[in-house]
Amino acid sequence: MKKYSILLKTMLLSSSLGNIRRHTYDRKKKRKIIGSRIGLTLLCAMLIAYSILICVGFGKIGMTGAVPVMCALVISSLAFVFTFLKSNGYLFNFKEYDMLMALPFKTRTVAACKFLYMYIKSLPWYLSISAAMLAGYAYYARPPFYTYIIWIILSLILPVIPMLAASFIGFLIAKISSGFKKTNLIQTIFTFVIIVLSFSLRYIIEALIGDDKIEAVLSGISMMTGRASGIYFPAGWFAAAVTRTDIPKMLALTGLSFALFAAVFYIVGNSYRQINSAIRSHAASKNYRMRRQKKSSVVNAIAFKEFKRLTGSTVYMTNAAVGELLAALLGIITLVLGFDRIIAIITQGAPIDPAILQPAIPFVVYFFVGMVATTACSPSLEGKNYWILQSLPIEKKTIRQGKMLFNMYLTVPFMLFAVLCMCLSFKVPLLNTVLYLILGVALCAFSTAWGCVCGVWHMRTDWENEVEVIKQGAAVVIYMLPNMLAAMGLVVLMVWLGTKMDHTLLTVIAIGIAGLLAGVCYKIAIRLR
Amino acid sequence: MNGNSMLEIRHYSKSYGGGKKAADDVSLTVECGDICGFIGHNGAGKSTTIRAVVGVLDFTEGEIFIGGHSVKDEPMECKKITAYIPDNPDLYENLTGIQYLNFIADVFELGAAEREERIRKYGDLFEITRDLGDLISSYSHGMKQKVAIISALIHEPKLLVLDEPFVGLDPKASFTLKEIMHEMCDRGTAVFFSTHVLDVAEKLCNKVAIIKHGRIIFSGTMEELTEGQSLEEAFLEADHEEIQHSS
Repeated sequence: MKKYSILLKTMLLSSSLGNIRRHTYDRKKKRKIIGSRIGLTLLCAMLIAYSILICVGFGKIGMTGAVPVMCALVISSLAFVFTFLKSNGYLFNFKEYDMLMALPFKTRTVAACKFLYMYIKSLPWYLSISAAMLAGYAYYARPPFYTYIIWIILSLILPVIPMLAASFIGFLIAKISSGFKKTNLIQTIFTFVIIVLSFSLRYIIEALIGDDKIEAVLSGISMMTGRASGIYFPAGWFAAAVTRTDIPKMLALTGLSFALFAAVFYIVGNSYRQINSAIRSHAASKNYRMRRQKKSSVVNAIAFKEFKRLTGSTVYMTNAAVGELLAALLGIITLVLGFDRIIAIITQGAPIDPAILQPAIPFVVYFFVGMVATTACSPSLEGKNYWILQSLPIEKKTIRQGKMLFNMYLTVPFMLFAVLCMCLSFKVPLLNTVLYLILGVALCAFSTAWGCVCGVWHMRTDWENEVEVIKQGAAVVIYMLPNMLAAMGLVVLMVWLGTKMDHTLLTVIAIGIAGLLAGVCYKIAIRLR
Repeated sequence: MNGNSMLEIRHYSKSYGGGKKAADDVSLTVECGDICGFIGHNGAGKSTTIRAVVGVLDFTEGEIFIGGHSVKDEPMECKKITAYIPDNPDLYENLTGIQYLNFIADVFELGAAEREERIRKYGDLFEITRDLGDLISSYSHGMKQKVAIISALIHEPKLLVLDEPFVGLDPKASFTLKEIMHEMCDRGTAVFFSTHVLDVAEKLCNKVAIIKHGRIIFSGTMEELTEGQSLEEAFLEADHEEIQHSS
């Protein structure tokens, strides 16, 4: 136990912004830390407001009883997805592996501490959601005082099971991939498959249950939460514990979490060194023969370097390219399933005229494609290699242009493909299809340039683990959350405006605004010091 | 197993994907009080062997013993008496030097007075005591190397394993490290280190092992290898003989 606390304490201290602020004499660094804290606090406030709004919505339609299940499901889903995306960089293949493994720690201790570190670092986000939902629930349900206590205690335990499940799947993927020569590639493919399955789970469950005749949105929500808690027992146990003070279920949730923790890290600990050895070792063919080399422009050379950086890291690849993959899948599914079916799934059978949704097509695709811009994390990802670019005779402007060019190479084809698929499925007129494609490109340009602004603004090269930059970096968080929320808002706005004005005119205006914003962000990104 | 041997590698092999062996049937022994230089070309298999010795790299073929304990079966016992300094130490960059050293001291359960005395001693020897309150991220490569060396020394290991320890160190620190290695050797500690600097190896080591394409082509005392020549000449000769032998 003592070894656990020594290692965990050091891990937390080594990534603590407070520790850096206390010991650094670099004023710029101190200012950046304060900026990051303000940014993260604002985002936390947004998350709290969003959670409260969900409760208010449920309260207004008289469904307060569904809030605890909804809370458990939201936290569990987020915990699963975010842990899964992080597990490769945190549990395996981390920078200080050699240093830690050479010290007298059991492999199980190192693996479990890495998990506990992930848990502690993400807990404030989950607790923010939980506390906000408790406040919303309490306002409408007026529960007894012990509900608050049980809710808060169980909120600490709630993320454990999904995080363990995600870690264990990450472990299995790493274990299988470690048997292949192209470990990284296999790991990336498996990770993508699991991500796609996770996102489609709800629809798969619905298809399995086979009830596609949902009478109304209200009963749909109620049924959904009910079914989900029936399938994912811990959510039901949480709801039962907080609403009916069901002590056995409270103990079941706590006991299962602890038992799974012990079981998972017993299994992971046994193969930990073998997996890490395989992941960190690279076979050398030693059979290269000098052949004709190609010359490319500086900007393209930087873009190619970015491509290799992306494909060389499973964590980076799965986080940065997941949106593009989902956008492509959305396009294919829309084409295959057909327009009416998609609308029925999205609206849960609510009576909506499908034509009014058309102007939102580029924004729906943008929600996915613009989810993570590589430009938001690539400046920080230079890390210790930053000296290479710094010492070369290249202007900062050129470096940023190269990084932006790569993000355009990555996003534009997926954007065009998905928009085209949806336009074909929705039978959008030719002129509007062309305009939607142009709007899609303008949105990619905006996402690229805005990502670059965030990335340069919050550039941090002294990270311990690339996950700190890719998933938790201030640049990515400040880019991603407002961008996703704005994209969702814009989908609604475009649908609403589409009912008031001509679709072609609306799209032209949107192209103008997106283009202007992209231009402004580009100028800022180029000029930032 | 020899009762005096601190490190014994027996028929250790390691292959990466594609079946090519990075280490092929490596066997060597380092006894208490030995300073053994491990030399070879880039990519010869030095780091692969060293990382297996210190329990970082998993392996299936062969056996490695430290102080009579098997690295495979009793890794904790081995690590408790070993210190390892990698070629490019990845330390916790956002800790201060003193926070990092305290972490290592906690891991090895050193008492407060003990750790203070040793950190002060080695900190002064490497002239880094005044910098220990700063973040490691603000250190130069050499300063990080010094912190890594101090962290390896404070728990008084019985086996010191170093991968290219002199890279990045200033001349005074290099001299200090060599002196410390001699002192430790006199106390019975075994030192096993890789280097490309043959002059250093020649002056410092009583034993030497040469590795090429993953295979040990020589392992023995310095006198047995050099026979009146310089280590550089002996190394090139051994290398040349190996080429002729394999062709």
